[in-house]
Amino acid sequence: MNHVTRATLSAGLIAALCAASPGSTTEAQGVKISDPTSVLLIVNRDSNDLTFMDLESHRMVGKVFLGNNVNPHMAMFTHDGRYVVTGGTRANKAYIVDVPTLTLVKEIPVDFAPEHMSISPDSRYYYQGNPDGDSISVIDMQSLTEIRRLPGFAEPLNVTFLPDGSKAYVANYGAHWVGVIDVTRHELLKKIHVGDVPAVHRLDPDRYLGEIHGVSSASISNDGRYLYAADGDLGIVAVIDTREDRVIKRIPVGPDPWRAFMSHDGKYSVTLNNGDETVSVIDTASDAVVATFEGGPDMVGANFAAGKAFVISSTSGFVYAYDLGSLRPAGRIKVGTNIQIETATTDVAETKLYLGNSTDQTIEIIDARTHAIETVGNVGLFPWGTHIMDSKDNYCH
Amino acid sequence: MRKTDRLLKSIVVITLVLGGTRGLAAQAAAEPGGERQALLERISELERRLGDSRTAGAAEEPAAAEPAGAQAQGVTLQDLLERLEALEARLSTLETQTVMSEPETRVRRVVVWVDEDGVQHDEEVPGAREVVTYERERVYRRQTINEKIEEALAADADERVSVGIDAAFATQFTGKTSGDAGLPGGEAYGLASADLYFTARVAQYTLFFADIVGLSGSPPDAQIPSLSLINGYTARLGEQNQLNLREAWVRTELFSQSLALSAGRLDLTNYFDLNNVANDETSQFISDTLVNNPALGLSSNGAGVAAVFDPRVGINVKAGFQQSNPEAENLSQSIYSLVEVGYVGTPIPTGEGNYRVWFRTDNSSGTRATAVGVSLDQKLTPEATLFARFGSAEAEVDRDTFYSLGVGFANGLVWNRWDTWGVGYAHSDLDAGDREHVAEFYYSLGLSDRLRLSPHLQYFRVEPAGGGEFGYVVAGVRFQAGF
Repeated sequence: MNHVTRATLSAGLIAALCAASPGSTTEAQGVKISDPTSVLLIVNRDSNDLTFMDLESHRMVGKVFLGNNVNPHMAMFTHDGRYVVTGGTRANKAYIVDVPTLTLVKEIPVDFAPEHMSISPDSRYYYQGNPDGDSISVIDMQSLTEIRRLPGFAEPLNVTFLPDGSKAYVANYGAHWVGVIDVTRHELLKKIHVGDVPAVHRLDPDRYLGEIHGVSSASISNDGRYLYAADGDLGIVAVIDTREDRVIKRIPVGPDPWRAFMSHDGKYSVTLNNGDETVSVIDTASDAVVATFEGGPDMVGANFAAGKAFVISSTSGFVYAYDLGSLRPAGRIKVGTNIQIETATTDVAETKLYLGNSTDQTIEIIDARTHAIETVGNVGLFPWGTHIMDSKDNYCH
Repeated sequence: MRKTDRLLKSIVVITLVLGGTRGLAAQAAAEPGGERQALLERISELERRLGDSRTAGAAEEPAAAEPAGAQAQGVTLQDLLERLEALEARLSTLETQTVMSEPETRVRRVVVWVDEDGVQHDEEVPGAREVVTYERERVYRRQTINEKIEEALAADADERVSVGIDAAFATQFTGKTSGDAGLPGGEAYGLASADLYFTARVAQYTLFFADIVGLSGSPPDAQIPSLSLINGYTARLGEQNQLNLREAWVRTELFSQSLALSAGRLDLTNYFDLNNVANDETSQFISDTLVNNPALGLSSNGAGVAAVFDPRVGINVKAGFQQSNPEAENLSQSIYSLVEVGYVGTPIPTGEGNYRVWFRTDNSSGTRATAVGVSLDQKLTPEATLFARFGSAEAEVDRDTFYSLGVGFANGLVWNRWDTWGVGYAHSDLDAGDREHVAEFYYSLGLSDRLRLSPHLQYFRVEPAGGGEFGYVVAGVRFQAGF
């Protein structure tokens, strides 16, 4: 082996060891986050960083800069709390951050425009959706490498793992099907057709040949038995039996529903119908719509706390509340004027919502019971999403 | 793969490789020989790929790369470093000139503090006053050309007056089932209507709206003396073949947008006596008594004010007044005043219901006449919605009474996903002794997002106080296009 090659290999080996052994870095730099459940993770799209806020004191405790023009989209903790992962939409890379030291340990080239992701229940695999690449990158969290890139999707937006980790379901916003992946072999097993395009599409082909609003997410029931997949163009929620991987019911909701959000007790599934600015509440026992309420424009997310559903209307600056006990509107929370609000996460105690306000660069902490708001400023530029480990409301838009 | 994407990918690859290549160059200084040849080949390859990338993107000067197979003899370390630097410079140019790498700038609203000397502070300082101002900020956000175009179009649209069109043509055929021989029967009628809507945002939470309507044709109401209108569009008919200003108002929202105030030329039926399945002659029932409660008594649009307080907790309160006589000579004549309380909730577990109770006063007859009414729609199943109305209006001697009920269907029991249909019945009993029974079935077929076709079947039976009852079956088709 010549000297140059040997030197290169040595340097590579050292770098790999450093990347794979965060413990050694921890000793050198000190632990910044000892309990990952104690912090709020904030994704700042335009300052290209991840920031961390202490949930008790509401003080910022750390920041990880990813690089200029990375523009991270969604981030989440691995279930073991060891890493945070995020997709850099404009860098076409996945980023792995060591949580205790808040150190960027790996940049992994993936396909075009990585956005939403999911982690397998055992924290072994990180499935990164690449909507513009129509692919899913499978990243092994032990070797921190992309071990497979699964092609053949159509704008894959969200991935949902079964609780036992055997299968993953990929929602395709650029189509009307949900992909089933065998997680053992990382192969696309099946395409589940969620519904037919209405027969009158022949009279209005431009309506269906233009921008497509397919399936944004397949949300899973608490027992892992059923998936609720809303399809925007079809105006339905398809209920998928995960044992047989087939649609067992199609529930008509309002026009252009943006994903189904599951209440924490599993009793309701809530869809945000942006076509007519309404909110449909589906009883998951009967799989029927039991209430449809007036919502707001550009609804992007729903959170659940204090027995209520909170629906975020991005461009109006309002959060709409609905009492899930009485099935009645429960007020409207004005977050601000001339602002754009993004998505929120709910704390594990289900008492507070942590909402990103991208215009003011703040996190709005909403008390779910009183609707009072506390603002934490200067969290980063364009906070696009938030995440709390073990929260049941971790999603993106 | 888009050109810009290909460029970016190339940049990433080159950047990564350049970092390693500079390390190799330093090593090569210590170990000239075969490694230098390998290094040379890698630089040549990089130059070739960079050249390819530039060809795909912006034009540039020809690359000064040597053939990949060039020999290392005579190539000094300085040569290699110079070529590396040239590569880095070209890469930098590529990065800065690529559209997707342009830093994003935007203006944001900021709060600053200005002290007595006029010095602006980012944080509050003693003696300084708080000022709201606007400031540009720069962020490292790559935007695609599509995003830029969409933003520009959206910003442009915000500043414009948006125009909407709703056009309809209703053809109806009547068949007399009973009545005097002098009454018409077996006739065909047609009425065309076109509404032009203008909407513009004039200030924060403030909207201007105008509706100009033109109608032409012969509705059955011109010949058949029913108590209510057979074709609800006829209520809009002011002058044939002329444009009429139906509505022109300004709406503003106050108190965290929970109170909406509208003022101008109004149609108060757009605010009061609403119903989810029986309230719109353009897309639901066409019989006028299944569109609005006759006890409301509003005959035409006019100047007025409407206030809607809706804190979104399931209860709303409305109040308004409107002049309903185009011949009125001043604003105190023919004034209709209305208040309404609405409730939305799920009183029965089959689905949500909307319940409204209203009270109206009217001074058009010279004295104060009152009326009261109820309008409700309640989901019976996810597909079926029950509706009902009741109204009682003070008349000369006693009261006029009215009720209607029916069922509207959607989201199921339909042919296509967005179709709707309904059946309804209405009964009017006037103080003067006249009575009317109206029944209607319609099916609204959604041909596209902008086009609907609705067959209607109506039945009218009128019992005048003085005798001579008559009845009609009316079959019709309504085409409706909205943009």
